[in-house]
Amino acid sequence: MTGHVKLASYLSAFLLSAFLVACGGAFAEPQVIGAPPEASNMRLVGANDLQARSAYQPTIHHQGDRWIAYIGHHGGTNDVPNPVNPQTGKAEPNGTSIVDVTDPAAPKYLRHIPGQEGKYEGGGAQMVRVCDGKALPKGDRNAVYMLRTFGSEAHEIWNVADPANPTLVTRIAGLKDTHKSWWECDTGIAFLVSGAPDWRTRRMTQVYDLSDPANPKKIRDFGLPGQEPGSTGAVPTELHGPISAGAEANRVYFGYGTNKGGFLQIVDRDKLLNGPKEPTPENLRLPEISRMAMSAFNGAHTTFPMKQMPIAEFAHDKDGKSRDIVMIVDEAIANECNEPRQMVWFADVTVENRPMMISSYTVKETSGSFCERGGRFGAHSSNESMAPVFYKKMAFIAFFNAGVRALDIRDPYHPLEVGYFIPSITPATDKRCVTIDGQPRCKVAIQTNNVETDDRGYIYIVDRANTGLHILELTGPVRAVAGLP
Amino acid sequence: MRKALLAGFALSVCAGFGLTAAHQYARSDVAGWREIAWPFPRDGWPAGRAFRCGASLCGDDVELYVRPKIGFCNCDTGVADDDEVDRVADLDLMSERFAPHELGKAVQIADMPGRLRSYDLLMSDGSKHSAIGIAVARRCDLLVVVAQGKGAASGVQRVALDFLGSEKLAPWMTVAMEGH
Repeated sequence: MTGHVKLASYLSAFLLSAFLVACGGAFAEPQVIGAPPEASNMRLVGANDLQARSAYQPTIHHQGDRWIAYIGHHGGTNDVPNPVNPQTGKAEPNGTSIVDVTDPAAPKYLRHIPGQEGKYEGGGAQMVRVCDGKALPKGDRNAVYMLRTFGSEAHEIWNVADPANPTLVTRIAGLKDTHKSWWECDTGIAFLVSGAPDWRTRRMTQVYDLSDPANPKKIRDFGLPGQEPGSTGAVPTELHGPISAGAEANRVYFGYGTNKGGFLQIVDRDKLLNGPKEPTPENLRLPEISRMAMSAFNGAHTTFPMKQMPIAEFAHDKDGKSRDIVMIVDEAIANECNEPRQMVWFADVTVENRPMMISSYTVKETSGSFCERGGRFGAHSSNESMAPVFYKKMAFIAFFNAGVRALDIRDPYHPLEVGYFIPSITPATDKRCVTIDGQPRCKVAIQTNNVETDDRGYIYIVDRANTGLHILELTGPVRAVAGLP
Repeated sequence: MRKALLAGFALSVCAGFGLTAAHQYARSDVAGWREIAWPFPRDGWPAGRAFRCGASLCGDDVELYVRPKIGFCNCDTGVADDDEVDRVADLDLMSERFAPHELGKAVQIADMPGRLRSYDLLMSDGSKHSAIGIAVARRCDLLVVVAQGKGAASGVQRVALDFLGSEKLAPWMTVAMEGH
């Protein structure tokens, strides 16, 4: 290349860049294999490919002197329905990955427990929660119990005391559309998201006493009036998942809807557990304290309670210095922005019968031309750990092709993004397609699906498009928000 | 081929209802369907298309509403049962109070399989209407139809299926399912 040609080339590139900046947005660069991750105030510590299985819920458990990550998977893809497990040499339906993350820089894959045959949401074992036997009222003190979904048809409990050699303890079967359950380790009460065969909704709650995991005891079925067997008329939006604030707080926060017609339901836990159990409209209404409807454009995937948050801005106010907050995370489900934006909402529920949305957060689309990158763009889920390191201070939001987003939520009336991390794609990253003029048009982009944190302050993100697990930490001044050195 | 299948299906459905409905509903003429403005407030899904057929052509006033719901379906099982029709078929846009007549049945609209079910609607003014709800699926997307009128559900069903199989509507449904 001659000097003049080089000069012209550089000038052209400069002018193009200037034009794009002047047009008010970042250039829609597709992700390419080999390119570095995009990051601000977050750093990659370690990674594992999770055998290129599409990932949903990670749960990080401090187990003796080890830290173990349990990661639920969706079913396989059309191209690879049953990925090969290198440890066994066999093709296995996606299930649960168990990874030793004691050294987060060198995560060690311990075991894959196969799940239900089936592709995408039709198979796998998406959900996982873990309780120590010594924490459960009637558990085996030497056991560590992992509750997981088995595809859509069952819930299972495994003893993972030896995480490399789990054993099945029990199974609750005959269901449909099992999904995002919650398990209280101190009481054993579990709010299992299921589809009971005779209910009119795909997903509702089955409350179980799993204090003795080997002997599950059903307490009741619960849902919204209109969903129960034998009812007629309009069917309320289906459940996505609950989070219990525990026996002392006596509240369970239920999120309904994923990306449409969602609402938050605040429930009296004691009335739910001990009230009349026959699923009549009256009995289903009894435990409800309030229900806050969201826009028809948005759903409630995650409803994360943060009670008694001191609000610095209100510190000198005579009343209302601290507030009960629920962070509500929608789920984006359509590729390339073919739906209303799914984002994060903060509701002030201090006055429980008058909950009110107070703020919201979304990644700015123009900051990365995310609608053009491919796959989903929007929120999906938050971390759900209530460990002190981040609780009521920082939240981490899985935002599909915009990676994970770190929010300073100390003032939930004004949540502030303080960091992000978008992993690099790999040869395992699966394509995401939209239909244009009757033909599929596919792109490859990261699809950060879920996020969880551990007590040490590490952040674990997993990818729906088969890119695996990334373990992150905060860097720079943002660490001070969480009180990290 | 598609047209022939739809016509065949419509004929078999019509035969199933016999003559009891025929005295209430004259044979519908798709040209008699007139497009009207989508009458419902904005909800989570974009508005669809709405049509009205007058008594002279459909035996009674019948209205039909159709729209895609992109990304709403179980990608693997499609419209699996009658409860799903209850949930998704937009009956609640007209009235929260509806009750099915009977078990639903399999149906195919614009090459998409799904289910059809008939209902009684109790309208806000206390009047009773009949309705049919239809939900069909392609991959993870739904197309939903609801048709309602004051006459018998069997008649509403017959004229609605005639119209859905017509060249006036079927091509649009195919395109609409691509998100256009």
